[in-house]
Amino acid sequence: MHRQCRKLSKTTTNMIQIKNLHKSYKMGKNSLHVLKGINFNVEEGELVAIMGSSGSGKSTLLNILGMLDSLDSGEYILDNVPIKDLNETKAARYRNKFLGFVFQSFNLINYKSAAENVALPLYYQKVPRKDRQEKALKYLEQVGLKEWATHLPSELSGGQKQRVAIARAMAAEPKVLLADEPTGALDSKTSYEVMDLIQKINDQGNTILIVTHEPDIADMCKRIVHLKDGVIIEDKKIEQVRAEQYV
Amino acid sequence: MFDRDIWQEIYHSISNNKLRTFLTGFSVGWGIFILVLLLASVNGMQNGFTMQFSDDATNSIFIRTGTTSLAYGGFEAGRRVQLTNDDIEYIKRSFPNDVEYLSPRIYQNTSARYKSETGSYNVQAVYPDHQAIEKTIVNKGRFINTNDLLNASKVAVIGRKVEEDLFKNEDAIGKFVEFKGLPFRVIGTFTDDGDDNAERNIYAPTSTFQKMYGQTNHIDQIALTYNPEYDLTKALEFSDRLESVFRRRFKIAPQDQAGIRIFNYAEVFEDISNFTGGLDVAVIIVGLLILLSGIVGIGNIMVFIIKERTKEIGVRKALGAEPWSIIKLVLFESVFITALSGFIGLAIATGLLAIIGPNIKSGAFANPSVSMSIVVTATIILIVAGVLAGLIPAMKAAKVKPIVALSDK
Repeated sequence: MHRQCRKLSKTTTNMIQIKNLHKSYKMGKNSLHVLKGINFNVEEGELVAIMGSSGSGKSTLLNILGMLDSLDSGEYILDNVPIKDLNETKAARYRNKFLGFVFQSFNLINYKSAAENVALPLYYQKVPRKDRQEKALKYLEQVGLKEWATHLPSELSGGQKQRVAIARAMAAEPKVLLADEPTGALDSKTSYEVMDLIQKINDQGNTILIVTHEPDIADMCKRIVHLKDGVIIEDKKIEQVRAEQYV
Repeated sequence: MFDRDIWQEIYHSISNNKLRTFLTGFSVGWGIFILVLLLASVNGMQNGFTMQFSDDATNSIFIRTGTTSLAYGGFEAGRRVQLTNDDIEYIKRSFPNDVEYLSPRIYQNTSARYKSETGSYNVQAVYPDHQAIEKTIVNKGRFINTNDLLNASKVAVIGRKVEEDLFKNEDAIGKFVEFKGLPFRVIGTFTDDGDDNAERNIYAPTSTFQKMYGQTNHIDQIALTYNPEYDLTKALEFSDRLESVFRRRFKIAPQDQAGIRIFNYAEVFEDISNFTGGLDVAVIIVGLLILLSGIVGIGNIMVFIIKERTKEIGVRKALGAEPWSIIKLVLFESVFITALSGFIGLAIATGLLAIIGPNIKSGAFANPSVSMSIVVTATIILIVAGVLAGLIPAMKAAKVKPIVALSDK
């Protein structure tokens, strides 16, 4: 795959650089300081778990990484592009070009077939209809759901839905895949299937960030960043547990 | 712009909310339906008025004289002004380019007799030109011609009602009818679109009557039509000119309304077109207000749809949908519903008019119909209405924050 080729030609590149990131929310008169100076880098090809209890700021961090939310101060550089002064249109373009999203509740569009869902980001990239369909089928095949291409989300199981969502996130060929509790709505067996898929996509050289509060899911990543009260309290590389063995 | 995906979105959105879409679409269709019917009614009224007056040539002017009410030019008030054959010649000489047809009128109420049947009728002594001025339709025989006039022939053209009354089932042409003891040969019969009363008239040559009643050259009235190429302003200008010339000729004070009256149909038509024009404006305002409620309805349904689809819009934005593409989606759907239901209303209204319109013919109301320009205007209004209805919801949709839409809490 082309990503692997790139990985071989270039040694470690900084995909994400976060410097002294602050974010607070106004709650009436008080302001809630959620992120209190986050510093961390993610290199290309990493599989990072962001852990923390609820209120630790992990979702806010992911939202800022996903350009769904703005930062108050600090720096965010994505693939050597400084992310700042975004208006809606620019943010939409960057998201489309740089990022793939996987959500806890899948967020498939319920009246569109699996293939149409996967093709949606390509539609916003203005890829011609025929190419879109071909690409969508290719990515559905990668997640093992080619035969389900014409099915509506309501005809798929939870695990299948999440795999379609992953195919959709990958279809735009993003620089970084952001997954917010991707296994949060799945039973453990299905969770491992999804993690197996995520690991395989990572094996191809894709950079992936996963927000989770489940230790066994975090152990399947290559690095765990632990957040508490808006600061990183732990950042360690780990020996990856392969999900394959549980499937 | 009109790719398949957009249509698919619209289709899904509508088929998910069939009843709601139908009800809202109905209000717009209904608005357009009423607007078209109202405009057609005004049009029908206009047609009715025109028909009422088209009985006479619409470019006609009538000159009547009376008794002066003001002293002027050395004459005392109370002088009787009398038109004569000379005035006809004078107009002919003075306004050769302005006048199309010209005829004097002498009115006589005469009893007429044929065999044992008698009746009292209005006899008008006129020139051959009068046929064109009054738009008399001769259905048998002929109208008075120049020879009749030169020879002062005792000939008459009688109305359909007169023929019915006096001649019963006989053909009147060539028969003699008696006016005050003098036999007149019937040379023609006529009908009149205007009313039955006009068909109780009898026409005879002016010269014949002037001879019969004491060798005068008096006439009661002058009827004429002006150059048909004249527009309203030119027509009014001509009648003003005519009036000032006659006032000078008869030495009538400029402000004396009793001495002479010049009646120009153009003035009436000006009034009518002002009236129906005003009505048109009123109808358009009422129609647009009805349409407005439909637009608000569509705006309402769109706001609901967007509320329901907040999450979907959030997902689309996360996947890279720019605000404009979301606005486009909502606007197209709104324009589509508005235009489709409006067209249905328009089609039903025009269909209805096409079927019943030509059959309506009563008094001041005839053939209500809509012109192409109304249809085109209505279409433009519909598209604009659709955009307006979708605008606020679309802006709302574009403002959806993906982060809020996607939160699972």
